[in-house]
Amino acid sequence: MLTQLKENIVYPEPKKQNIIIEVNELNVYYKNNHAVKNVSLPIRERSITALIGPSGCGKSTFLRTINRMNDLIPGAKCQGEIMYDGINLLDKKIDVVALRKEIGMVFQKPNPFPKSIYENIAMPLKFAGIRGKKRLNDIVEESLYQAALLDEVKDRLSQSALSLSGGQQQRLCIARALALKPKVLLLDEPTSALDPVSSAKIEDLLLSLKKQVSLAVVTHNMQQAARIADQTAFFYEGEVVEYNDTSIMFTKPVYKKTEDYINGRFG
Amino acid sequence: MNSNKANRMSIFLITCCAVLMAGILLGLVGYILYQGFSHISLRFLTSDASAFLAGGGIKNQLWNSFYILFITMLFTVPLGIAGGIYMAEYAKPNKLTGFMRSCLEVLSSLPSIIVGMFGMLVFVNFFHWEYSILSGALALTVFNLPVIVRVCEDALRSVPQDQRLSGLALGLTKWHTIKKVLLPAAFPGILTGLILSAGRVFGESAALLFTAGLSTPNLDFTNWNPLAPNSPLNVFRSAETLSVHIWAVNADSIIPDAKQVAYGAAAVLVLCILLFNVSARCLGRLVERKMTGK
Ligand SMILES: Nc1ncnc2c1ncn2[C@@H]1O[C@H](COP(=O)(O)OP(=O)(O)OP(=O)(O)O)[C@@H](O)[C@H]1O
Ligand SMILES: [Mg+2]
Repeated sequence: MLTQLKENIVYPEPKKQNIIIEVNELNVYYKNNHAVKNVSLPIRERSITALIGPSGCGKSTFLRTINRMNDLIPGAKCQGEIMYDGINLLDKKIDVVALRKEIGMVFQKPNPFPKSIYENIAMPLKFAGIRGKKRLNDIVEESLYQAALLDEVKDRLSQSALSLSGGQQQRLCIARALALKPKVLLLDEPTSALDPVSSAKIEDLLLSLKKQVSLAVVTHNMQQAARIADQTAFFYEGEVVEYNDTSIMFTKPVYKKTEDYINGRFG
Repeated sequence: MNSNKANRMSIFLITCCAVLMAGILLGLVGYILYQGFSHISLRFLTSDASAFLAGGGIKNQLWNSFYILFITMLFTVPLGIAGGIYMAEYAKPNKLTGFMRSCLEVLSSLPSIIVGMFGMLVFVNFFHWEYSILSGALALTVFNLPVIVRVCEDALRSVPQDQRLSGLALGLTKWHTIKKVLLPAAFPGILTGLILSAGRVFGESAALLFTAGLSTPNLDFTNWNPLAPNSPLNVFRSAETLSVHIWAVNADSIIPDAKQVAYGAAAVLVLCILLFNVSARCLGRLVERKMTGK
């Protein structure tokens, strides 16, 4: 299932997408710090959900809880439900390794492994059980293409990934995650460490990716959220104040807090 | 103005100390090389040590030093890397771990003569391995293991946390992340540390006095059967290393050219250790450059 090539399939674009991840009354604590409070939020299939809000309001925590990266933080505890494919992802019995292949993650700082560009993508694939040089080459090439990086690196696949520019490194990290054919991709401020040109490239990339994967993107850049997101959720002090279609959210927000934040009056 | 003066004062003092240090070091190495270099010749390196006459060489001692080093590294590298991985990646930050860390620190700062005594009690007397390469290598393992654990732990800890997280986020298990991401990233640091510790092992004498012994049987360099008593590869034979030889020649040798032999051997020892240090730097840098592509 992870290996199916999807490039030939043309996806229809219905107006309101199905929900792929449904978060219900999620609470996350770090020891006594209640970081995420009673959050209920859908993530829609083949669309981009932007998570916005002031620093420390729990966006990263929320994102990390979805693919269980929060398990790794000592003292982190969560309650509630994250329904995906009919199962609760917070269930202790879930195979988190398999889960993280289906729900990938890209971090704020580009962090390719100190290996060749090719190995950065191929190594996780090999671990996922994909064998055969031809097959690996195809997937590496396909995911670099999807991440709009293929033209820039196709002659230097055996060079170290650290010789790439920051923006290229970030696209490599996206390619690396895409190679595993995830259903959902979580991105935590993927452009905040990049220059405007590289950021624009990543934005275009995310827009093209939503044909195949569902994306949740944390961003501090309101214009970016307005440009790329289909839905937007506004977090404030651990709670979701408002969730709506981006077009509505950025023109007629229901709450004063949302309006103030979007217009840069605090945060 | 005043703070400016203090600043210049302290820079001056620090520079003086550094120059003094470097001077002492260079003087020492220079003196040993100056005294010994003229005595180094192919014949000196390739002939047997003599008991009474002048003109003895250091062939067996040189071989023994490298061979004991090799056997020691055979024990310490896997154990030390495993220990380093445990300390850096698996050990929970609790009292037990703190206690283990203190033990390692004490162990690494034990005087080597004490390690030698311990080796004699355990390996030589208790296990009846006599004065042998095996006993010597095990004593050196005790002496070297904490260093390697430390080196490996530090090298792994200096890999950014991001690398761990992104490995796990790509569906790798923790062990696979360590194996395929963290260890390769830490490799230049580990390699440099290994080679530097090899220099320390190579020059060690006190730990070997009572474990590897002060004599070497007549080695037959055509007999490579590791079970033969006169084979260079036999680990159950006694073996005098280069630095032990220097000590023995200085202490109670009756050969007429004892001084020259000691200086010559010392110069060879210093050259070997310099070689270890330089190659540690070069190799570490080379691997680093290969990894980052710069
Ligand atoms: N590893 C951690 N250990 C303990 N507390 C944490 C940890 N990470 C975050 N927190 C706490 O959880 C709360 C939410 O933090 P989080 O990182 O999710 O915010 P954020 O919205 O992503 O902020 P930013 O926009 O600055 O990235 C904060 O109060 C923070 O102090
Ligand atoms: Mg964050």
